Amino acid sequence: MKRYDLIVVGAGPSGLSAAIEAARQGLSVIVFDENEKPGGQLFKQIHKFFGSKEHKAKIRGYQIGRELLAEADKVGVQVKLNTTVIGMYQDKEITVCIEENVRHYKGDSIIIATGAAENMVTFEGWTLPGVIGAGAAQTLMNLHGVKPGAKILMLGSGNVGLVVSFQLMQCGCEVVALVDAAPTIGGYGVHAAKVARCGVPFYLSHTITKAEGKDHVTGVVISEVDNNFQPIPGTEKHFDVDTICVAVGLSPMSQLLKMAGCKMEDHPRRGGEVPVVDAYGETSISGVFAAGDVSGIEEASSAMIEGRMAGVCAATYLGFCEKEEKEEILSGLSKDLDSLRQGMFAPKNRGKNIDKTEEGIAVSDNLLQKGYIADDEIERYPGVTDKKGIHPVIECSQNIPCNPCQDACSRKCIKIGKKMTSLPSINDEAECSGCGMCVASCSGQAIFLVKEDDEEGYATVTLPYEFLPLPQKGEKGVALSRSGKKCCEAEIVEIRNVPAFDHTSLLTMKVPIDMVKTARFFQASQKGGDRYG
Amino acid sequence: MERIREHPILGEPEKGKTVKFTFDGKEIEGYEGEPIAVALKAAGVMVHRYTKKEHKPRGIFCAIGRCTDCVMVVDGKPNIRTCVTPLAEGMKVQTQYAVSAKEDHVS
Repeated sequence: MKRYDLIVVGAGPSGLSAAIEAARQGLSVIVFDENEKPGGQLFKQIHKFFGSKEHKAKIRGYQIGRELLAEADKVGVQVKLNTTVIGMYQDKEITVCIEENVRHYKGDSIIIATGAAENMVTFEGWTLPGVIGAGAAQTLMNLHGVKPGAKILMLGSGNVGLVVSFQLMQCGCEVVALVDAAPTIGGYGVHAAKVARCGVPFYLSHTITKAEGKDHVTGVVISEVDNNFQPIPGTEKHFDVDTICVAVGLSPMSQLLKMAGCKMEDHPRRGGEVPVVDAYGETSISGVFAAGDVSGIEEASSAMIEGRMAGVCAATYLGFCEKEEKEEILSGLSKDLDSLRQGMFAPKNRGKNIDKTEEGIAVSDNLLQKGYIADDEIERYPGVTDKKGIHPVIECSQNIPCNPCQDACSRKCIKIGKKMTSLPSINDEAECSGCGMCVASCSGQAIFLVKEDDEEGYATVTLPYEFLPLPQKGEKGVALSRSGKKCCEAEIVEIRNVPAFDHTSLLTMKVPIDMVKTARFFQASQKGGDRYG
Repeated sequence: MERIREHPILGEPEKGKTVKFTFDGKEIEGYEGEPIAVALKAAGVMVHRYTKKEHKPRGIFCAIGRCTDCVMVVDGKPNIRTCVTPLAEGMKVQTQYAVSAKEDHVS
């Protein structure tokens, strides 16, 4: 039986981070992962991450995955792929299925970083081919380069449902509707807004009542639900779709910890049955740690910090790391983790009804119910101001721990301050150069550059654009409003795409001056179907 | 379903060489090393198997080897998770009925 200082189960963001931190301290580390490739879900994440510089904000998930792998390689972490850990027993012994054999390994310490599995809801026809998990959609399109479907309905308005809907459109699929039984959108408003402005209708307080089709999905029926989440007869709506994508949350995959005898608890805010852990992830069995989604559903950014914490603790447990050094590392990591767990979407605020921002501004009801901020709500937010000459308009309305826009502006036009969750505001003293770095740096794609005095009767709006085909300079089309409705004719006057924008193109469109506060997306005229009419 | 030729963020998908395999006797092309399920999806195949008791169709569901909805008979062996099994030249892929490639095993 082979023996290691540390065995890590799962080579996702938390497992790799744990292994890196422990290997740095001199431990012999092996990581087992059942998949063909390491990185967990990171390589399917093609959007820019939220957070601060320290949390790798504005870097896309797959790029973070590459950086982690390179780091793991550098410090000598061994990653064993296609190996499924199937058991965990007394005295930190595990059984691993490798090809068709079962082998035993022993770790002097163990970190479980197995992540989470998707939840599912059942409805008539839910087993038909064409009903897929949102994770399956990401796997098919972002890892394997095949479209999950042509016309898709998304169920679930959490960040996964919102982000995957946007990704589906990026690879050329049509998203016909986004549906959620809850009365308000669960994920970040900025994620919802970028889906809504493409013309996708949101149906809150609705659920799927039937997937239609004999051998595979050919349509879907949704119904409005009452206060008890029961479908209301007579409210049915039908959509022709070939795919139904389900994004209704995640559950920790904590079976190994339970099997080993770790004390468990049912914790709805953490997503289900999770191990009881201390502040750094140690379970009730000393030397056995849990990190990442397995101990509570959160984001990859916090999973990486939790992994590093568990790695340092394992090193200290085995005597590789002095107590003072451990405490120094942990205090820095705790601070980072705490800064990510702030704001409206913090784990401690889950399930709470928040109607005002930290600044005391009323939240947009329209954003929560339809996915976009209404015209009569938008000017409440400190990032939305009028000014002569070119200037940024920041449609950021929720307290999220994220601040890349502040650093992106070399002229200090954008102020967030020390508190990362504060809404960005405009510094009236500073002068915008129109460089566009803030537009490209905003992970929520909520920043626009506006120039109101461009030419008599016209204004320009610069917006982030991550679709193909890229419009040409001089191309004419229509501008869409925040709600995704056609609001006026528009002409592309500039397209910018530099490496610093990291695959986000900046389109500048000319619109009639009265539309400057409304026009937020561009639709080329040859593609304009009745969906945008 | 269509393959993505060019992606605004990811560029052109990196694929292995083209290989030929059969699905229920029909020759199909796919890329070496990609999951069998992806090659089938690109060829428009939706149904991977029929359940034993009720003869209900099943296809890709989780795409990460967890749910076992997409299992098929591959080179004569049943219950192969096609979403995590790499495609190879000359593979014989068959719709699975219960645990067999023969339709009459479903009753």
